[in-house]
Amino acid sequence: MSNHENHQELENQNKPAIERDRTYWKSFEDYNDTPEFKTALQTEFMSSPLREESANEGTETDSVARRDFLKLMGASIALTSAAGCIRRPVQKIIPYTKQPEEVTIGVSNWSTSSYCDGQEGLGLLVKSREGRPVHIQGNPQFPINGSAASVKSQASLLGLYDPERLQKPFRNLFNDKRTNKETVGLSWEDLDNKVVESLNKGTVKGEVALLTGNISSPSTNAVVSDFKSGFSADHYVWEPLAQDDVTEGQKTSYGDAVVPNYRYDKAQMIVSIDADFLGTWGPTTANNKLFANGRRNIEKMSRLVSFDSTYSLTAANADIRFRIKPSQQLDVVLGLIAEIILSGRSSYSSNETVKNLVQPYKGVAEKLGLSTDAFTKVANALWKNAGESLVVTGGLATRTEDAMALQVAVNFLNSILGNDGKTILANSGNKHLKAGYADILNLIKKMNSGSVKTLIIHRSNPVYSLPQSFGFKDALTKVNTVVYIGDKADETAVFSHFIATDNHALETWGDTEFANGLFGIHQPLIRTMYDTRSFQLSLMTWAFIAKKGPKRLQDYETFYDYLRAFWKTEMASKFSGGKDFTTFWNDLLQKGFVGEIASSNARTFKTDALSLIKKKQTSSTYELALYPTVQIGDGSLANVGWLQELPDAVTKIVWDNYASMSLKTAEENKIKQGDVLEITANGQKIKLPAHIQPGLHDGVISIAVGYGRTHAGKVGNGIGQNAYQFLTVKNNEMLASGFPVEFKKTGEKYTLVTTQGHDSMEGRQIVVTATNKDYEKSKEANIHRHHTWNIWSGHQYNGHKWGMAIDLNTCTGCSACMTACQSENNIHVVGKKYVMQGREMHWIRIDRYYAGNPESAETVFQPVMCQHCDNAPCETVCPVAATVHSSEGLNEMIYNRCVGTRYCSNNCPYKVRRFNWFNYAKLIEKPMHMALNPEVTVRTRGVMEKCTFCVQRIKEGKNQAKKENRPLKDGDIKVACETACPTQAITFGDLNDENSRVAKAFKTEPRAYALLEEWYAKPSVRYMSKIKNNDQVTPAKKGASHA
Amino acid sequence: MSFIFSSSRRCLLFVLLLCSVSLIQSCLFQNPDGGQRVGIGYNKGYAPEQPIPFSHELHVGTHKVQCQYCHNQVERSKSSNIPSLATCMNCHQQVAGRNEPDAIKKIRTAYSDGKSIEWVRVHMLPDHVAFNHEAHVSKGVSCQTCHGEIEKMAKVYQYSDLSMGWCVNCHRQPENKAPLNCTTCHH
Repeated sequence: MSNHENHQELENQNKPAIERDRTYWKSFEDYNDTPEFKTALQTEFMSSPLREESANEGTETDSVARRDFLKLMGASIALTSAAGCIRRPVQKIIPYTKQPEEVTIGVSNWSTSSYCDGQEGLGLLVKSREGRPVHIQGNPQFPINGSAASVKSQASLLGLYDPERLQKPFRNLFNDKRTNKETVGLSWEDLDNKVVESLNKGTVKGEVALLTGNISSPSTNAVVSDFKSGFSADHYVWEPLAQDDVTEGQKTSYGDAVVPNYRYDKAQMIVSIDADFLGTWGPTTANNKLFANGRRNIEKMSRLVSFDSTYSLTAANADIRFRIKPSQQLDVVLGLIAEIILSGRSSYSSNETVKNLVQPYKGVAEKLGLSTDAFTKVANALWKNAGESLVVTGGLATRTEDAMALQVAVNFLNSILGNDGKTILANSGNKHLKAGYADILNLIKKMNSGSVKTLIIHRSNPVYSLPQSFGFKDALTKVNTVVYIGDKADETAVFSHFIATDNHALETWGDTEFANGLFGIHQPLIRTMYDTRSFQLSLMTWAFIAKKGPKRLQDYETFYDYLRAFWKTEMASKFSGGKDFTTFWNDLLQKGFVGEIASSNARTFKTDALSLIKKKQTSSTYELALYPTVQIGDGSLANVGWLQELPDAVTKIVWDNYASMSLKTAEENKIKQGDVLEITANGQKIKLPAHIQPGLHDGVISIAVGYGRTHAGKVGNGIGQNAYQFLTVKNNEMLASGFPVEFKKTGEKYTLVTTQGHDSMEGRQIVVTATNKDYEKSKEANIHRHHTWNIWSGHQYNGHKWGMAIDLNTCTGCSACMTACQSENNIHVVGKKYVMQGREMHWIRIDRYYAGNPESAETVFQPVMCQHCDNAPCETVCPVAATVHSSEGLNEMIYNRCVGTRYCSNNCPYKVRRFNWFNYAKLIEKPMHMALNPEVTVRTRGVMEKCTFCVQRIKEGKNQAKKENRPLKDGDIKVACETACPTQAITFGDLNDENSRVAKAFKTEPRAYALLEEWYAKPSVRYMSKIKNNDQVTPAKKGASHA
Repeated sequence: MSFIFSSSRRCLLFVLLLCSVSLIQSCLFQNPDGGQRVGIGYNKGYAPEQPIPFSHELHVGTHKVQCQYCHNQVERSKSSNIPSLATCMNCHQQVAGRNEPDAIKKIRTAYSDGKSIEWVRVHMLPDHVAFNHEAHVSKGVSCQTCHGEIEKMAKVYQYSDLSMGWCVNCHRQPENKAPLNCTTCHH
């Protein structure tokens, strides 16, 4: 042994051993504490697979590189000396010919608008600079979402600047089999004439058909119904993630087909049966907001119980979680009803039919392998909170053969509990969610019979999101003329005759009704960038040429005129309150919305519907459960790099979909993470890598839809596999889950890339969770306070001192903050390969920790960004003073000074610094560069970067206050992540302002703690512990020390 | 032996590091000397040909046109604007320009064609520097402080070297109460 090794060993012996607290873990390697994992922990950063590659390159390459470098050096010195004071490049300034009144160069304009993706609708405030939109956030005054915006709505900005967007109308030339031979451009005039010619041929009703997604816009609906009447057309509404299970269930149970407004804030007891309302089901931004509102006051916080077959975001946030198979969903609901009814508590208890129905489900928990005690407790809690509880179900994972029975049973349970009209507001929901699989199945039938002559498809991609077995593609060949209205040459577009290229949403006028009675306006933020035309105007133009349809459809030259006239005649009378129309209209544009959400009354449950509750779905050893993910959703935005690189909310895997299974299932079948499996269900085969998911039911294989696009674009093509292929139809109902699935190993290996799992808490206090019982005893429960001391008095902050408080209790891990940060701070997308090497660039990350054993792992989320330490370890090691401390407590990163030693990142205990290994900015293809925020420097290669606390926003807020000659108020400055957070988990402000929310959180909140307090870096961020409302008591730890 | 060798190598590295640090520090903290010496890459005196020989001497010096008449956004934006052609036309609808009739014709044609004039940028800061006109103007810093005697310039040239040292020299004066944080300008 050499001296050196000897010395190291001695050093290690002298170090106090860290006794590791093993409550929280990030990966199985971490949980099992494998030797490989321990070795990996010793290295500060992930080892790069590229490192070995470059080591093999040999010395000769190196010498060449060196010579080239020297040559370059010589050249550049010559250049600079010769250049003298001639500046290059010469830049031109091209002023406006006539300056638009509202544009001030260098000042952002914020305009109200809205977003609708067929699932949820949001009121938006869009920031534009010199006429180009650069950032999307929620409209703070909008009642549904406030300043928060979903991941997808924020990322839709990149869709506007997508280089692969179609820029003019096209037509497809087909071969004999009517598959695409070539796509060629044509003029709008030619397209219009040909389309109208075909439209005019339709004489019988239904020969012209219109297929769209959900349309939440009253004026667009008016255009569509005008068009329908003019051309005797049929309108089919379908979305891949349609909520027709809910609407049909509501119709059967109560009479009206609606998607109710669920008030998660008014419920004390929320039970979700596979409804991922926090992640992907319904208006998730609003749901997150309401859910957090019901939990902010810890004394009265609500309880979320989740019965789920996919480890969804909702499951991850549950206080009490039961893992089930899709085929068990109905049993669970009927079991809960049985507990309540058979104990004689409800008025239904004397109803013989009901009693007979639920009798077999008494004690079902045991049969399902669930804890009987816990199950009874849930039922009791539901009854105890009658009128203040809420049971929800829906989404792809519930689309089993029992889907309808499940919906009816849940409605019945809610009615037993008297929740309807209290936590379920039927009349307050979005009444435009009409999409359903019945429509598309009907359309396919009609197309096959040859009765559809002209088909117009808008914002719908059935060739991709329906399985081949549905035969949509073949049916298309039986339609004489297919017109596709969209902005991408997607899977469906390439099989249409004409592509009437649509505007992007940010280029279009419109309006919205997201909740009954609440109307929003949809303003365009930019003039059409290309030769495109909105969907509405296309319909209007065809009506005008064909001279068909009501007068108003033909009269107006633009959709804006139609919209204004529509509001003048149909809306103004209701809302203008006596104001003249122009004033009303301008006020509307300014405010963004008008009206208020209609109130709802309790409805009577139709007991006849109970006859529908018949168990049809049989149980199988392994059942398939399909689900959409938070980031990709139905797959329509697959070409947005921000979304592909956003780690999955729970698994933290990027750029892929996979087949998730439990550890036990994997072990029984000798499957390891990344083994490629051939998955067979419904006669369809797909090859997907395996992912071992803690907490999943042993009998479930869960797969995300929305991947496997072939015509999404350069970013989204070929990412994952298309799991929509597993959808099937049985008895005229679409099934997505619950059917048997088989899988076998192919022997291939595939690397799934995650942003987590390569480091560990090492037993230190990083996340803190406590239970409600712990909290009753002590509000500081489970927080270990460290005694810290210092010989230095520390920095003086005489002006402001910025700080942030993050409430882990309301953070749901929805990831909206990550996209907001990416958009605000020009953060690059690096791609799967570099994420694999730990080189992702996100300034804010959401760490996911599992707690407990792998069978029933619970989850905690923790957003981590630069902690802006007072005693910042990064500052002391920077040899060039590129990272320094500001007089306002910011840890500043000065890109132009940085020479890329990466010492700072090495020394950062929170690992929040990101290094530009390559010149990612060079890869930004035009016109994507237009989405960049001009307030933030675009970093180049060799530069370190990290969260700045949105220093550009701080400056803007301070300048604004100065200009108005007033002191800065708390809340004047809102950082990007804080703005986007639907649960208000993040607060930013001035710690020197005693009354600021942050200062209060720092000083008076007993749940607040600092990350790695014992290291005395003195971070400017405080976390507040997460409280699990599960009535458990955390056992005292035995001798756990915090290093 | 390996231990000794590696520690000596460490020593060497450390010395090298110290050298480089002191070199960089000397660059950072000793170079700026108030615009006396023009450094490489600075463009003091830069006076490119413009498409229109616009004379500030004539407009500001002789005719006493206020700076903010043309650069009207300077008080409410971080960037001062080059006026739109419409602003020029306010006067030049009537004024034909005795000295430069061709130039005025050019403006009028451009205006009626809906085209713009491509001015050559004189004052240019690197992309990683954020300068705010509004903040300076509202504090009472006059245009001439940075841009020189613009009213005497027949052809605009860069008066100050616009180096970081030149900026910081002013910001350092206690009476200016200007912030000295790096992120004041770099973010």
